[in-house]
Amino acid sequence: MATDEELIAAVASGDGRGLEELCRRWERPLYQLIARHTGGRDVEDLYQETWLRVVRAARRFDPARRFSTWLFQIAVNLCRDWHRRPPPEPVDPAAVDARAGAPAATDAALDARRLLATLPEAQRSAVILRYYHDLPEEEVAAILGCPRGTVKSRLHHAMRRLLETARR
Amino acid sequence: MTDCDETLTTLLFGRALDRDAAAHLAACPRCRAESAAIEGLERALAAAPVPAPPPALARRVLAAAAPLLARNARRAAWPTLARALAAALLPLPVILLLDFYLVRAAFGLLVAILPTALGAYIVFNYAATLALLLALTYGAIPIFVEQQVRLRRQERHA
Repeated sequence: MATDEELIAAVASGDGRGLEELCRRWERPLYQLIARHTGGRDVEDLYQETWLRVVRAARRFDPARRFSTWLFQIAVNLCRDWHRRPPPEPVDPAAVDARAGAPAATDAALDARRLLATLPEAQRSAVILRYYHDLPEEEVAAILGCPRGTVKSRLHHAMRRLLETARR
Repeated sequence: MTDCDETLTTLLFGRALDRDAAAHLAACPRCRAESAAIEGLERALAAAPVPAPPPALARRVLAAAAPLLARNARRAAWPTLARALAAALLPLPVILLLDFYLVRAAFGLLVAILPTALGAYIVFNYAATLALLLALTYGAIPIFVEQQVRLRRQERHA
């Protein structure tokens, strides 16, 4: 079976089946990463834009790196840009789910979203990658483009903030 | 991170405590006091449903990526095309030189036995046919290269 790195090399030479296989392998983790980052808003658009950036930049992919690190890095950068955009209108997460035809969100889901939403963007990225995607701190640091110590510090501050929120 | 932070974070994300963390929790009044709040928080974080991508999303992405993939394919074929053109252009001066002498000799022979205008007409047609054949041959190189690249891609998948 071809590795991710071989598949991205195939994508760089215009191979649609390589992209199809990569999408199949990384569909769920990538979708979940984006959904958790944005609280379920604009997930499909950001997901598609991530893959389009992957195809555009496939020739520049460094085979010495892990494909997943590169993919998540692109997605996190897109989510970061998305958070910087001014929101078009105040959005209620429950209303977003209803519009998207998704099942009604549970209280727990909304709680988790609200909890993650209380974190600054950098801390939220660290928490999602480290605990929801179970990535080691080194890889989180590579994705976020910061030293490992910064990841540790962000996780620490995120946990303190989450605890304060929970106590309220 | 301190031991307290590590222990509390492990609890927060619903991970099993290792022996050191469990020992720390048992011994640390602060962590024991915070563990109740953390359990509530952990339940909220863990109970969030895992979002699943809609089934049509992959098709949408592949359709949107098709023009970019075609561009990648064209770019990937450029080095092969450049090599093929270079290999084909290498013998071109020799071919042109040989043709020139051939046409000149043919013209000399024809004007000896035919009227000059008729000989020139025949030689011009011959030269034009040669030029057309050369143009067709060189024009077909990009097409052959594209086919070659496509075959290579198919072989890789086979």
